[in-house]
Amino acid sequence: MSRLEIDWPDEAAERVRAAQGRLRLAGPALRDRTFEDRLESVAKILGDWTAPDSPWRRELATSLAAASPFSHGTIQEGLDAALTRWSPEAFIACAENEVGSQLAHRGTRLAPFDWTTVVAGGSIPMPTILSSLLPLVLGSPVLLRETRKDPVTASLLARSIQATDPELSRAFEAVSFPAVDLSAYAIALEAPCVVATGSDETLAAISSRVDSSHRFVGYGHRFSIAILGREIANNEPLLEEVAAGLALDLARWDQSGCLSPVVAYLVDVPKSVASRLAHQISERLAELSHNMPLGDLSPSQGASIASERSEARMRAASGIGRLVETPNHTITLEADAQPRPAPLGRFLRLMPVESPDALVRALEPFSGHLSNVAIAGLSVPGATNIHSEKNASASNNISQTPIQSLLGWLSRAGVSRFTKPGRLQTPPIDWPHDGQPVFSPLSRFTQWTQSV
Amino acid sequence: MSRAQIETELLAWMREDSAPDEDAARFERLALAIFVFQFESCEPYQRFCASMNQTPASVDRLEAIPPVPAGAFKEFALRCFPAEATCKTFRTSGTSLDRRGELHLDTLVLYEASLLASLQRYFMLDLCGTGPEMHFLAPSGEESPDSSLTHMFEVLRREEGSPTSTFDLRDGSLDLDSLVEAIRSAQSRNEPLIVAGTSFAFVHLLDALADTEDTDRWLLPTGSRLMETGGFKGRSRVVPREELRTAIASRFGLDERAVVNQYGMTELGSQFYDSTLLDPDGPRRKLTPPWTRVRFVDPASGVDVPAGDLGQIVIHDLANTGSVAAIQTADLGRAILDSDGREIGFDVAGREVGAEARGCSIATDVMLDASMLRVES
Repeated sequence: MSRLEIDWPDEAAERVRAAQGRLRLAGPALRDRTFEDRLESVAKILGDWTAPDSPWRRELATSLAAASPFSHGTIQEGLDAALTRWSPEAFIACAENEVGSQLAHRGTRLAPFDWTTVVAGGSIPMPTILSSLLPLVLGSPVLLRETRKDPVTASLLARSIQATDPELSRAFEAVSFPAVDLSAYAIALEAPCVVATGSDETLAAISSRVDSSHRFVGYGHRFSIAILGREIANNEPLLEEVAAGLALDLARWDQSGCLSPVVAYLVDVPKSVASRLAHQISERLAELSHNMPLGDLSPSQGASIASERSEARMRAASGIGRLVETPNHTITLEADAQPRPAPLGRFLRLMPVESPDALVRALEPFSGHLSNVAIAGLSVPGATNIHSEKNASASNNISQTPIQSLLGWLSRAGVSRFTKPGRLQTPPIDWPHDGQPVFSPLSRFTQWTQSV
Repeated sequence: MSRAQIETELLAWMREDSAPDEDAARFERLALAIFVFQFESCEPYQRFCASMNQTPASVDRLEAIPPVPAGAFKEFALRCFPAEATCKTFRTSGTSLDRRGELHLDTLVLYEASLLASLQRYFMLDLCGTGPEMHFLAPSGEESPDSSLTHMFEVLRREEGSPTSTFDLRDGSLDLDSLVEAIRSAQSRNEPLIVAGTSFAFVHLLDALADTEDTDRWLLPTGSRLMETGGFKGRSRVVPREELRTAIASRFGLDERAVVNQYGMTELGSQFYDSTLLDPDGPRRKLTPPWTRVRFVDPASGVDVPAGDLGQIVIHDLANTGSVAAIQTADLGRAILDSDGREIGFDVAGREVGAEARGCSIATDVMLDASMLRVES
């Protein structure tokens, strides 16, 4: 007897509708719990992921290696480095600072959204994990639309929530459907709060489908850079530290995502030092590739790298810049700071600029698209906090040195974090992603005044 | 061989009616002769080849000729003649922040012979010599003197078009009235009309006509044909190639096979057309003029992939005698094979193809596009 094939075009839409129904049912129980209770529970789930010997992290590394282009070593290192820096205590402190402080005002209450849809983007799991947990703290059930490039994090996260807090797990649903399935998308985007990560075009497409009375939070199109100053020329240990740090930033997630550096700008750094730096980064990358081998590149990315290498080779042959390459990575030492494509896949350009002002001119076209900046070798008066992961508040000093002006400009251009080489891919959990607070964009409050 | 000897032979070849694979030995002989000439005449190319230990002494076959990346035309004046001998420079499109690639020419004879031979062979066919009216959704040569696409249309109009043929994109605006009148006139005469333009111009045209109720007045007479080329980025919404073709054919009332895509680049002297007019019953693919070869290579090794596999496109265009004939594109493609395993053309893969398309990107996109390769869901 032959099988009867049934064409069921609305299958994904019906799954999303069913998930939406279950979330509505789970909503009251979630909202009945206190903010503190939800926070404690979610922090515990987070702790299960960030613990030194987390079995969830180990399982994710294994599963993701089979489902993504990254090598197992790269995934494992990336997860370990990022998640072990996310302490549940910092998570709780952040929630209390952003939300608890509001609730401390007499008469202010959380007014959770009936449900929140999280549209995951990219193949790096950390943003998916965090974006999914935040609404639960705020009392809003979560519908997570997983990304095609990471088909494992959502289900694993669901299991981890179930293992720690079965009641909470009823307020979390993970779904998958193709981007072209507009019916399923339409239902997912009925949520009164939608969180999405993706390109500007993706965000524009999603936000255009979200009701204007609903909340939309988008994390968009960004890239990161490094800025290295002349001090690396006179400090061999610093030069080595910078090379090792940048190599690590490049190797992590094979330079994917908005936290990867695509260019290192060398401010008034002698050519000979720049050349040494290029070679040292290459050497450190070669060492890292033993445990963190380069993953699979798509054909288009391979073609892009090949083209950019050829162009760099042609320039180098004419004495314009240098090319340091191995089969697994590329470092180009450019002669100027003209914008050039960034093919990623462990491909870094070192671009010279003569001054902080010149750097601002070079970066002006990218204002609004910069994410994180790794800094080293720059004299930043009163800015020792740069190396301790704080924002560039130092740039607010009244007496503006060129460096301070640069940092101030970068902040205004949208840079959301300054750090040092080697730390770009491992932001703390309270990092203001795209310049936004962590909980506040997803929060909704109601105030009861005395007159009422 | 001198350049003059090479060009004489090429011009004769362009007048022949040979198939692309009929004379592989002739192609390789000329390609190697051009390589020797260009190695000796173009310093940046010579330095590039020498840095890879590829010289006329070591290069003895087509596949060993080093291709320059298309982007190199933005950085170097790749010409095999003194700068003062330049008679024409074509530039890739772009913004003030973009570097623009430049193709310098000291003669238009071979360039125009190549483009015209391909147009006649793959696009005009039965309309050659009939002087059909042509409408170009592109700026004229006066308005856009450094556009290779506009120059190609100018040559097509000059050699094959009726005197009433016009460029309907003026000061950035599409003259719909001109096109409507041309269609009405062609309908009344029942004579074929040719409409050719950039892909983004067609998108704007289709968008402008989206709410038109009088659809009949856009129907083209039998024998009409359309050519679209280039990309969309920064100029219009992006439309998948197949979707655009279907929409164009539907709007103008033509069989989809009468809608031909041209794959070309400013840096090339030759262009590649869809096969559907020459071979309407075969699979749609790009056809290669006999004086060109399209190879598909492994990006990492540069070695040719097995026939039919996806690879990075490398083009050997013998019409590029005055610059560099071997060009590495950033596009991906594959050879199309017949039932006997013979290559009968090729297909271009990817989001947007061709340097013209890449040239349309704005500077921010240049860096951002690549940085989002794995971030898009």
